Amino acid sequence: MDIGLLKNLLLKGDPEFWVQLKSLTKSARDFEELFLLSSLRKKAHARKLENPNAPAKKIRLAILGGYSLYPLHELVEHLCEIDGLPVELWQGDYDNYISEIMDDNSELYTFAPQVVFILPAERRCTYTGHLTDARELQQAAAKNVVDSILELARKVNEKTRAEVITTNFMLPARHDLGAFRSRTLGSNWSFRKWVNLELGLNAPSFLHICDWEFLANRLGGLAARDERSWFESKQPCSSALLVKLAREVTQLIFSLKRAPKKVLVLDLDNTLWGGVVADDGLEGIELGDTSPRGEAFKAFQKYIASLKQRGVLLAVCSKNDLDKAQEPFQKHPEMVLRLDDIVSFKANWEPKSENIRAMAPELNLGLDSFVFVDDNPAEIEIVRQFVPEVTTILLGPDPSDFVAQLADCRLLEPRSITSEDAERTSQYRSDAQRKALEATVTDMASYLESLQMESVMSEFVPVDVPRLSQLINKSNQFNLTTHRRSEAEVIAVMNDKKFAGFSVRLKDRFGDHGLISIVIGEKVGDTMKIDTWLMSCRVLKRGVEEEVLNELVRLAKGKNCTRLEGVYMPTPKNEMVRDFYGKMGFTLTAESETKREFELKLENFQPAQTKIKIIRRAYEPS
Amino acid sequence: MNQAEVIAKLQTIFDTVFLEPVVLTPAISAKDVPEWDSLTHISLMVSVEKAFGVRFRVGEVENAKNVGEFADLIIKRKLEP
Repeated sequence: MDIGLLKNLLLKGDPEFWVQLKSLTKSARDFEELFLLSSLRKKAHARKLENPNAPAKKIRLAILGGYSLYPLHELVEHLCEIDGLPVELWQGDYDNYISEIMDDNSELYTFAPQVVFILPAERRCTYTGHLTDARELQQAAAKNVVDSILELARKVNEKTRAEVITTNFMLPARHDLGAFRSRTLGSNWSFRKWVNLELGLNAPSFLHICDWEFLANRLGGLAARDERSWFESKQPCSSALLVKLAREVTQLIFSLKRAPKKVLVLDLDNTLWGGVVADDGLEGIELGDTSPRGEAFKAFQKYIASLKQRGVLLAVCSKNDLDKAQEPFQKHPEMVLRLDDIVSFKANWEPKSENIRAMAPELNLGLDSFVFVDDNPAEIEIVRQFVPEVTTILLGPDPSDFVAQLADCRLLEPRSITSEDAERTSQYRSDAQRKALEATVTDMASYLESLQMESVMSEFVPVDVPRLSQLINKSNQFNLTTHRRSEAEVIAVMNDKKFAGFSVRLKDRFGDHGLISIVIGEKVGDTMKIDTWLMSCRVLKRGVEEEVLNELVRLAKGKNCTRLEGVYMPTPKNEMVRDFYGKMGFTLTAESETKREFELKLENFQPAQTKIKIIRRAYEPS
Repeated sequence: MNQAEVIAKLQTIFDTVFLEPVVLTPAISAKDVPEWDSLTHISLMVSVEKAFGVRFRVGEVENAKNVGEFADLIIKRKLEP
């Protein structure tokens, strides 16, 4: 597909235009190419050729900063729309961002943005004193720059509750100052590095850094800048970097709204080691420091192990006999990955698509949270065709590129690493042990008793906000309403007295499950409306549901409510809780395609008895 | 390269960028072409510099009053070592 054919589709008014526009946009690297695609997109709108798959809801995005925001805004708008997250855009005037944010009556606030993207002016990030000034003075000046950006971000977040994205600063690329540049904080080189570090390390959870320093470094310092475009039209950087910047901010906006992938499914032969273990034998496979190729495979395994450490679950899917496939994990001295790193190990002769499909219920995760990695194009193709929800990565021909391929795939990036992410593998593994125990205990009650479960219920507290928002945004199955909330929105609920929100943590003798359930009630008159009720499926049918209802009723009574109102809003993934309220003793009051409404009168409510010991209740002193 | 040859090559670039066909003449200028706005102009200049392997000096493109003068500017910059 080339531009000429795309134009023809547009002129004919063929909706296939949108499919091709998306694929060309994905592969576009040059500014003028991307810009052209964007102008065709706008022309399609002008001609009323609309994308049949476009979501109706737009995100309100404000872009402001110390530069001309044309045509950056155009690229961002294009990329967001093509990725299925269309934006309604508000642009600040050139270098007017400080007053736009500080003035309570500015148009920015009338616009009521949900996401605000700030590009602070580079020329304000420079040390104006002498190169040989005392380091304390230079540090204080850097802190001033950081504080002023944090202050702007805080102000705009307080006023709008928007998520805020700010760029940091590019470093200079000229030789100016020579080797002395790194011996003083007064040089732009050191000063901006210092500011960038301080900014990132001190950013509150609603503030996201669009790492311009990194992007410019990746592209190359000289290629990142274009002085002429600054003098002519106040451009922030070269057109090549503008494309990278637009892609990065789009990625950030996306990560605010969508959860990262959770499971990495790995092929074995020629993926984790060189050669075919069933043919070449344990001694014949290439792995480890005896050959360059073997080293490359070992480095790939080390990288995968680091992904596991930051919370990615690892699984294996291989066309092999199970015993042969597992042998290197058990016996090969150079293997980095071991069997207990793998949460699901499928080695058989069934199609890989079927094996991966079977993993989803086993791990209680949706297929859309899986990434599949293989060196064989045929295996990638079968998974693409038969489990299109899974994202696939076809490894290139050279194992020394494997790490780079995963490190650049942008699918496994944590939004903010919580310690509970890192605990996840051990949770899933002890689930397996728990299931083994379940098989040995004959009745459910004594099984639950034997788990020695303990639970802590807590009102929303600031330290939990990242985890709360993470769970709110990724829970699909046990989720009655699927209301998503950003960290800023969770904080808003936390600070609003009409809401009674609480979280539930659970541990048992096999391990700590961490934060596994979230409920948000909203008091309206004498009714507590259940805005959100969600739970991790790993702890289904342990009595958590009952304890949550007990707690909800207790809080509702505390707020002088006489009834609970619950609603089930169907999605493609939450069928399992369709009758949940009914099972919990609620009465169905209304039913339609889009929701089922229930109520529970509190006067006759009897708290259920469970096997969970409640260590603490929400809104109570600990 | 003479002016006519430069304009012929410019024509292929304009054909890519614009949806409605524009026939370039030495006398035509941005105000004659509805799609040629200040945003498109930025992208157009990036394409022209790449296609001809030239780099304009700061501010000089806006001094060209029409396509003919713009073509002459391209020739001038191409003649530079």
